[in-house]
Amino acid sequence: MKNTMKKLLIILLTITLLVNCTDDLKDATDFTSVENPNLLEDSFLGQSNSSGVWLEGMDRQMSLFLNEILILSELGSDNYVNTQTFYNQFMDNLEIRIDDPDMRDTQNDLARLREMADFGLEEVGPQDPLYSEDTEAEYYFFKGMSNLFAGMYFSRIPEEPGAVPLTTEENYASAIASFTSAIERNNSQPEYYLARARAYYYLGRKVEAVADAQMVITMDSDFVRFARFDETDTTTQPAVNIFENALYERAIFDDLQPLPTLDFLDPKYSFLTPEEDAPVYYLKAEEAYFILAEANLSDGNALAAQGNMTDLLALIGTREVRTIDDTTEGRTQRAPGSRPNNSGVVVNGRPNLVLDRDTSVMVSSVSGTSLTQPEIDAMANDDAALELLYRTRQEVFIAEGIRFADMGVKLVMDLNEILLNENVSEGDAGTIAVIPPFVDAVKNDLDAITYDADAGIANTTIDLTAILVANKSSDQVLPFH
Amino acid sequence: MKVHYYKFLMFFFFVCSLSFAQEKNVSGTVTDDQGLPLPGVNVIVKNTSGGTQTDFDGNYSISVNRGAVISFSYVGFETKEVVVGDSDTINMKLSASASELEEVIITGQGSGIAKRKLSTTVDVLKADEIDKLPSNQIDQLLQSTTPSAQIRLSSGQPGTAAIIRTRGAISASTSATPIVIVDGVRVDNLNSNAQLGIVTGGASVSALADIPTESIERIEYIKGGAATTLYGADAANGVIQVITKKGTKGKSKIFYEARVGVIKATEDFLKYDRTAEAFFEPGLSLEHRVGINGGGDKVTYNFGGSIYADDSFNDINKQVRRSLSFGLNANVTDKLRYQASFSYVGTETNLDFNANSGNARFSDFEGGDLGDLDVISDTDFAPIRENYALIGALTSNESTINRFTNSNKFIYDVNDNLQVNATLGIDYRTVVQNQAVSNALQISRGAFPDGTSDRGALTRATRNNFIVTGDLNVTHKAALDNFSFVTILGGQFFRNTDRQNRIEGSGGVDGTSRIGFFPTQVARDFVLENANYGLYFLENIGIYDVAFLEFGGRLDENTSAGANTDPLFLPKVGITYNISDHDFYSESGMSNILSSIKLRANYGEATNFAQPFSEVKTFVPDVFLGGLAVRFDQPGNTDLVSERVKTTEFGLDLGFLNNRINFSSTRYDGKTEDALFVPNALPSSGLRAQVTNLGEISNSGWEFALNADVIKTSDHLLSVNFSYNTNDNSVEDSGGSPAFVVGGFNVIGSVIEQGQSLGYLRGTSATRAADGTFTFTPNDALGDTFAPNFGSFGINYQYKNFNLFMTGDYQFGGSYVDLNFLLRHLNGVDNTGIPDDLVGTTSPFNYVNFFVFDNDFVKIRNIGATYSFGDKLKPFSNVILGFTATNPFNWTSGPADPEITGSGIAAQNGFSSGGFAYGTESAPRIFLTSLKFQF
Repeated sequence: MKNTMKKLLIILLTITLLVNCTDDLKDATDFTSVENPNLLEDSFLGQSNSSGVWLEGMDRQMSLFLNEILILSELGSDNYVNTQTFYNQFMDNLEIRIDDPDMRDTQNDLARLREMADFGLEEVGPQDPLYSEDTEAEYYFFKGMSNLFAGMYFSRIPEEPGAVPLTTEENYASAIASFTSAIERNNSQPEYYLARARAYYYLGRKVEAVADAQMVITMDSDFVRFARFDETDTTTQPAVNIFENALYERAIFDDLQPLPTLDFLDPKYSFLTPEEDAPVYYLKAEEAYFILAEANLSDGNALAAQGNMTDLLALIGTREVRTIDDTTEGRTQRAPGSRPNNSGVVVNGRPNLVLDRDTSVMVSSVSGTSLTQPEIDAMANDDAALELLYRTRQEVFIAEGIRFADMGVKLVMDLNEILLNENVSEGDAGTIAVIPPFVDAVKNDLDAITYDADAGIANTTIDLTAILVANKSSDQVLPFH
Repeated sequence: MKVHYYKFLMFFFFVCSLSFAQEKNVSGTVTDDQGLPLPGVNVIVKNTSGGTQTDFDGNYSISVNRGAVISFSYVGFETKEVVVGDSDTINMKLSASASELEEVIITGQGSGIAKRKLSTTVDVLKADEIDKLPSNQIDQLLQSTTPSAQIRLSSGQPGTAAIIRTRGAISASTSATPIVIVDGVRVDNLNSNAQLGIVTGGASVSALADIPTESIERIEYIKGGAATTLYGADAANGVIQVITKKGTKGKSKIFYEARVGVIKATEDFLKYDRTAEAFFEPGLSLEHRVGINGGGDKVTYNFGGSIYADDSFNDINKQVRRSLSFGLNANVTDKLRYQASFSYVGTETNLDFNANSGNARFSDFEGGDLGDLDVISDTDFAPIRENYALIGALTSNESTINRFTNSNKFIYDVNDNLQVNATLGIDYRTVVQNQAVSNALQISRGAFPDGTSDRGALTRATRNNFIVTGDLNVTHKAALDNFSFVTILGGQFFRNTDRQNRIEGSGGVDGTSRIGFFPTQVARDFVLENANYGLYFLENIGIYDVAFLEFGGRLDENTSAGANTDPLFLPKVGITYNISDHDFYSESGMSNILSSIKLRANYGEATNFAQPFSEVKTFVPDVFLGGLAVRFDQPGNTDLVSERVKTTEFGLDLGFLNNRINFSSTRYDGKTEDALFVPNALPSSGLRAQVTNLGEISNSGWEFALNADVIKTSDHLLSVNFSYNTNDNSVEDSGGSPAFVVGGFNVIGSVIEQGQSLGYLRGTSATRAADGTFTFTPNDALGDTFAPNFGSFGINYQYKNFNLFMTGDYQFGGSYVDLNFLLRHLNGVDNTGIPDDLVGTTSPFNYVNFFVFDNDFVKIRNIGATYSFGDKLKPFSNVILGFTATNPFNWTSGPADPEITGSGIAAQNGFSSGGFAYGTESAPRIFLTSLKFQF
């Protein structure tokens, strides 16, 4: 027995010696080292072209933000109604709640876009040996876009984490400053001018808006800036086109249905390739023509406006039209016959707005319209011309979140901002939805229709375009009036 | 070779004939102290290969040589030896061994400690009880057999996760699943979908389903608090400790068992008969098991193997299971023992889609997507049924799991008072899941147009989980007049590496399972690696052998703690007072009635750590359209530490009438401090939510357990058990964070909010005011998902060779949302119980209280009977015929099965409140017949 003890002791001693003396064995016996596969700040900052991949990240973040805001803004407008339970349940009737998690996510993704821009400007860019002025300009552009969206969709929202919320006007002013910084670094990008034009437009600063819009057309009269989506993204918050899912990919669910007057424009987003989802055009030259036309109408210059609209129509004529197999959904597969579904239907007295979906359909993927040259030629200095302009604006920008901003409706800061930001209390401006009274009065009818399938007649209960134009003198809508 | 064989045979005959020459026949009866016959006693002729076992009446008969030594051994009794003399009859009385009287509990580390010295309670399930139960899933074995665990089967589909909870939910961000230790080695206990696992819309495959259940000697269920302090990180939810068979000295025993079962769906909770008509079809289960157990003075061994297959209760599910296990005890020297075990479990399952998955058939039917199935005509239903049968045939969610577990334990007795224990072991579990969403499936769903042939998708998810456990400790025992001391000092580590890969192929044709054939492929990977290590000590001081003072602690460190933190010290202290062990008491008349009194009190701390790497600030380079796109990910938290549960416990255990009736009661108060919360980030910061030590959660309650031998005669034994537990759970402090949803939906969610129970149900309720109109209350508290009152019960009756048993459990006081009903209502086909003047006036999300029901239930889990033929059916030493019915009876207060959670546990190791009865089938009824032959 003693011998065994001795042997054991010797073996133990040998092991101990080996463990202590050889580095190789230390590797084999160290049970505390773990491999962290994540990319940490120290290893990322300073890498060659880190500013470039960071910019790609912001591009992707723009797509993520659009995923949030498009659902809210398109449901909140008269463009789309949600007939199922998957997407936001509150916005159709403009029930804008501080406890709606979609409010939180939208605000968070918006802030994230700005924080990424700031981090790019302050940390990533300066430490990257390959940092260029063009990249810096893009950082300013995205920062400006964050401010621009803040102004378009919120009545008050902070520009820094936990800061005092800025008003819509202050956010637009910040946006203009950022776009100007971008232009200073790279003056060859028309979208910088168009983004600034939009900020001036909503502020009602006609002269500057017109100047920038004019600049856009001079530089590139058919440019588009778009957010791209990766169909293969399977991360927790994937940069797939969520609005495309709602319109097309979730086919049999029939989630979102357009106002019948817009049927021919749906689905703007559909299957593209197995790798890439349809893009969202968030800045396009069409907007410059709208700004010019509206400015001209507000100046009583219908003729010039006609010219702008003619140019616009020509531009739209050059835009891509896709042939889509939409037979799976038809128009409401789940509740057949509930909505207009054939080309024989007349909507609000106008024919040819509804497509037959039992065969392939042709739908504009950038801009589409029912506007005709005779309608343009008939434009005068009256509200009818303004209505025509706003109807076209709704059509061209469908599924792009503009109609909601044009309605003058503003979302609220989320409950979490209220509780965690000491500068915000419940009941403050910015925590209560802003809905112009003339919109509030019809908010339950925004998507309401009547449809007589046998007679082939559909009518929208209200004409929101007419309501907006009728209230053009309100400072909440039609900024040039 | 032939020559050797021949020589061997010659030798064998020689030996045999030699022994025949002098032998005689000896028989007799073996009884216990009370004269009751002991069946199955090993009767061995020492130093020979001869031996037998007693039959059911305790009788044996054996051929021996005069002068030989017969050894009588039986688990739990002192071994006795007798020299064969002239007499042909040797009757033997065996006394219960002291070690059995003092049931030893493996306290976490070190040598075991006698149960009577412990201030904590441990629920024990022994081999004979386990063998009786039909299930081979550990969660189902423990369900209704442990007095204070709540084990809720979230789906009837094979291999899916049960939600396990004992003393309430202690954490808002991690799973409530106890850690599982097999022979001292931690094994994978992932009881949720893996991070990159295949999602079927719920009903996730659980690692608990493939913990080896062959060859289990005993299962100890340790409920947390002071009992789990020494186990270190993650033990706050309790510990399930499995000790496998290492073989018994004596004659080798061989058994073969065949089990045949009929599996029938539980239709109690269906809304539509047509759901059953379309999907359910009784299935068959078949199982073959073999085992060998035996050994000599130096080495004992145990082998178990089984093969199992069933085709479940519906037209999709399938399960195959194969297992092998091996256990060994070797006395290497007088002082050194080596114990080893190895097990392999392999399973294959096919699951249906569930809940809100786009392909879920069950929820399409029960959720009213197809209209009111009761009113559809047969003509209209026929094509629906046919199409759904096609969808079923095209559904493919296959998982293949292989798990290897090995434990090596070295026990070295330096002297009578000093023992060194060393354990080293591994657990390796690999899961491969394949999900095919073929063109044909999509066409059958109407999602793709007819004729589509190039949009099929195939996903393969692989998870390899590797755990190494090492432990070294010294146990010292000392006695000093009226004091005894047990001292344990040791160190332990375990490390876990979880590697996951997922490849998704799309745009493919049907008919291939090779992802390389799909034009578009996306790969993802995921790694979690964590090491946890600690030093621990424990001192148990006996005072006059009636009272025991225990104190100790663990210094615990793990690699997922933040950079600014120190190792945690987790203390424990306990006191036990066995009043009835005083001489004056046992001599008094009282002891005949109240035979044992034990008082217990303890305090202890245990922890749960956050998911590895959640302390660091990270960036994510996403692959975006083929390029790289970097973004912020986790904000990071350098102060992150494990959440720590501080539990105080008081207990009183009473035994009446020579312990024929045992009553145990425990009061516990647990407080989770530095609770890990993942609150919403400040929206204007643009940050992601970050796990933070923010909250405080309390759990308090009572645990009562009663066991009684109602009838105890030489022929009859009737025993009953009953338990009742309460749990009061509350989020005491949410650290100022607003309420956040952790389960369910935004309009009717499971929410974490200060002042409410964890994961309580919240939504807008409608109540009728005095004037007849409805008042709507947003964010109304609609009930607790955890039933605050629960328990189990059982009856066991033994008449000679016949055994009858029943187990069941119950709960009351909680709530659940009948989500199928809500969906039916949204689909306009079911307004049951909803006022007519409310329907249609507002969104159903404004009166969700009408979809919330009490989750009370009483369920009989098992009814079974066995009959032992003894050695009447020669050549077998015993033949046992058994019959069990699983889940035969349910009584529930609401319309649905409150156990069901179709939405599953989606996040890896995440919190699950349950409480949403939705979109998946209840556990089926199984009628099983078994026949076991012993040699």
